Amino acid sequence: MTSRSPWLVLKWVAIAVALALVLWGAGKFAAAGNLPMVILLGFLGLAILAIYATRRAVPMKYLFPGLVFLLALQVWPIVFTLMTSLTNYGDGHMETKEASVKYLVAQSVKEVPDAPRYTMSVGVAQGGDVTTSPLVLLLTDKAGKTYVGSTDGVKDLTDGVTKNDAGKITAATGYQVLTGREVNARSKDLSALAVPFEGGGIKPSGLSEAFVGKASLQYDAAADRIIDTATGKRYGPQHAQWVAEDGSGSLATGWVENVGLRNYTDALTNETLRNGFVKILIWNLIFPLISVLSTFLLGMAFALLFNDDRVRGKGLWRSLLILPYALPGFVTALVWRQMFNQDQQFGLINKTLHLNIDWLGDPTWAKVAILITNLWLGFPYMFLICTGALQAIPSDVKEAAKIDGASGMRTIRSIIMPLVLVAVGPLLVASYAFNFNNFALIYLLTSGGPFEGNQTQVGSTDLLITYAFRLAIGGVTPNYGFAAAISMFIFVIIAIISLQGFRQTARLEDVN
Amino acid sequence: MHKRAFSAVALVGVSALALAACGSGSGTGTASSAASSAATSAAAAAPTTTGAPVRDAAVDLVIWCDQDRKPIIDKYAKLFGDAQNIKVAVQVSTDVRKDFKDATNAGKGPDVIVGAHDWLGELVQNQAVKPINLSADMQAKFPAEAMAATKFNGQIYGVPYAVENIGIVRNTALAPEAPKTFEEMVTLGSQLVKDGKATNAVLLTVSKTGDAYHSYPFLKAFGGGVFAQKPNGDYDPAQVIVGSAGSIQGGDQLAALGKAGILSTNVDGGIVDQVFDAGKAPYAMTGPWAIDKAKKAGIKYGISPLPTIAGKQMTPFLGVQMFYVSAKAKNDAFAQEFVTKYVTQKDLQIDMYNIGKRPPALTEAYTQVSATDPDIKAWFEAGKGALPMPNIPAMNSVWGPLGQATADIIAQKATAADRLKAAQTEIEANIKKAG
Repeated sequence: MTSRSPWLVLKWVAIAVALALVLWGAGKFAAAGNLPMVILLGFLGLAILAIYATRRAVPMKYLFPGLVFLLALQVWPIVFTLMTSLTNYGDGHMETKEASVKYLVAQSVKEVPDAPRYTMSVGVAQGGDVTTSPLVLLLTDKAGKTYVGSTDGVKDLTDGVTKNDAGKITAATGYQVLTGREVNARSKDLSALAVPFEGGGIKPSGLSEAFVGKASLQYDAAADRIIDTATGKRYGPQHAQWVAEDGSGSLATGWVENVGLRNYTDALTNETLRNGFVKILIWNLIFPLISVLSTFLLGMAFALLFNDDRVRGKGLWRSLLILPYALPGFVTALVWRQMFNQDQQFGLINKTLHLNIDWLGDPTWAKVAILITNLWLGFPYMFLICTGALQAIPSDVKEAAKIDGASGMRTIRSIIMPLVLVAVGPLLVASYAFNFNNFALIYLLTSGGPFEGNQTQVGSTDLLITYAFRLAIGGVTPNYGFAAAISMFIFVIIAIISLQGFRQTARLEDVN
Repeated sequence: MHKRAFSAVALVGVSALALAACGSGSGTGTASSAASSAATSAAAAAPTTTGAPVRDAAVDLVIWCDQDRKPIIDKYAKLFGDAQNIKVAVQVSTDVRKDFKDATNAGKGPDVIVGAHDWLGELVQNQAVKPINLSADMQAKFPAEAMAATKFNGQIYGVPYAVENIGIVRNTALAPEAPKTFEEMVTLGSQLVKDGKATNAVLLTVSKTGDAYHSYPFLKAFGGGVFAQKPNGDYDPAQVIVGSAGSIQGGDQLAALGKAGILSTNVDGGIVDQVFDAGKAPYAMTGPWAIDKAKKAGIKYGISPLPTIAGKQMTPFLGVQMFYVSAKAKNDAFAQEFVTKYVTQKDLQIDMYNIGKRPPALTEAYTQVSATDPDIKAWFEAGKGALPMPNIPAMNSVWGPLGQATADIIAQKATAADRLKAAQTEIEANIKKAG
């Protein structure tokens, strides 16, 4: 027992640290008012105690961290995306309806024409608490006359007034003038303050000026309408926006609301989406397939070549081949884009090969250009993993093949390839899944284009992910709810493909 | 492993969908991580923190701007801080527009940002900025066009410090005279190309996906453009004029120039600079951002307003750079005071000119700068009569379709009439979907 005590201490320290972290996180969420997360973290803490502080649940001791990360990093994003897809969350729809009313009304305060402007100080009644007591505005008009303004209205102020050169009141009997910092600390109270005045209210602007302003929008809570007092227009709630009843447009700021399955039905009934979907899906299935095959074949060929003992300077060759992989992919993509320029003056490829191919402007050639670029970007990775797999093959297997009289090609086909595929098979599936969503490459090289048939919705090299991006975020007013709905479609497609892929690779393991 | 993971997750009671994810992913985790990153990457364009500065909590006023302007803003932030006896932090963001929107939404935004006027509609839509109050006297110190650009729904949302627009930058070694007409540019340019003194007659950013900003002057020359204006000067998102007769006439000019090989979709922004700075083109239709590079390349240049085309005057979009106050500013009073009292100072505007080499927005500052810097005077002249780039949120739906339409017209993929009408339909549909 004594020999285990240091470990015991260590274990309890680790548990304490984990619990402290959970507590710290819970405190943060509690401060943000996020009750569900606090409860969730509470459960997490209890689970840590129950699993690690007792001697029971031994398998769980191993599984628990993985499960937590699975939930936090895999399941939660999916649930969050699903939840977002059921809302209209996006530009113009980010906050609650109440917030939109408050914002719109507050933003509609306009200066009353020809009303006086004042030089302003902010104060409180003498003896009041500068952080809490009601604020008053100490005002000087253009003629140098001084006033005090409170929520009760404007009164003349003459007793003990001293002003600085700019006309700003620095002291007055019965009032304490606040410093800039004190005023700033009460910014919220200050912007809520309006001193009643003919035709509107005196509102502060910054620290030293005040103007007579009037809100042109008013909210009628009973009718649930925003009314423009200047024009008499009435705005009613419609599709999470304030829409004018006379059909003359809507106010810019709306609110977020649940829209049920509308994003999904929109996606399924959208004509361009429907027409483009099949076309894009086919290319989206072909592109990663050719990419994986071409990069694998080239990488494997190089790996075989440089795994041969007769090649000299293997280290140097190998380092050179890995170079494309070491450069940042987006730089490479941009360089390739420049090289694919049709004009021989700028495009290295057409210049070198004396061609006049419109690489990035022709639907077919654009696809070829993307595959070539991705081959350049992707083969070093395949070269790396194949080299690793080749080196893991025991030499006695190859010798046995030799003794049995197998030719070089036969050895590769029947011995080496099956063994390599066991190792790299799952990586090929992963690579397929990665390329399925290779947003950066497409975006940097062609932005999904070229676009055929007088539209900018469906590009010839679009993948579902670039398509979804343009549809929901890139080319229009961003609508994250809609983007999330499209993402769910993509997720389902990839989940099915991956499941299928892993079943296939599981079969490869029979070789062992 | 499969079964245990399944039952464990089921115990926690997560949805069936989540189960599918874990089932497919529990092999190595690679596939499902790829899947979930796919699921989130589009949606996660929302709050990511990469590159965005973290708001300094210990100071009294926080300003976000880009790297170039930081030194100047630092200087005035310090003056303001000393005057008010407070601490001001100026922080650099690589993408102020996006970072500000996301951070403000999460309650962690700055008090003041420095940005372009065409962000305004989007920022108002997302409750991120608030109007400021400038006296009529103060407003009169700026050109009306610059003030118009800071307005949304008739409210002023910031103080402008610089204006920018495109014009004709010419290589004076090849083209000594400022061109009056586009035809003149084409004739001289083509002759230079024929003589082997140049490779491109006129440089204009087109690219495969098009560039609506640079193509707009062609449409505007014939009374076309993007949106019609309401009587009060605001752009009207309900009246798209991309497919109007005027726009189509401009499109026809683009088509003819494309057919003649003057304009090409093979020329993008990088190539415009590259060719002009190599001294291989007499004219580039570009903006102040190109000047610094041309100077470094040793090109002798001249700047002049956009010429006429087919007898009609071309005018560019006017861009205005300005200071905004956040609607959720934690230090609202300081923020308003700084923006209304310091950004309106002549010295600040002149210092900002020294960094960006754009005409200052404050008339007094412009007058002083233009007396000594002929470039600034030339850029300002080139921007005369220009309308501000639309700052309404609907403009987001225009850039892509209009840009591609002009590229397709130049590439002879469609006639101007068909293509611009199609773009109009697409833009209208996008606006409708958004709002």
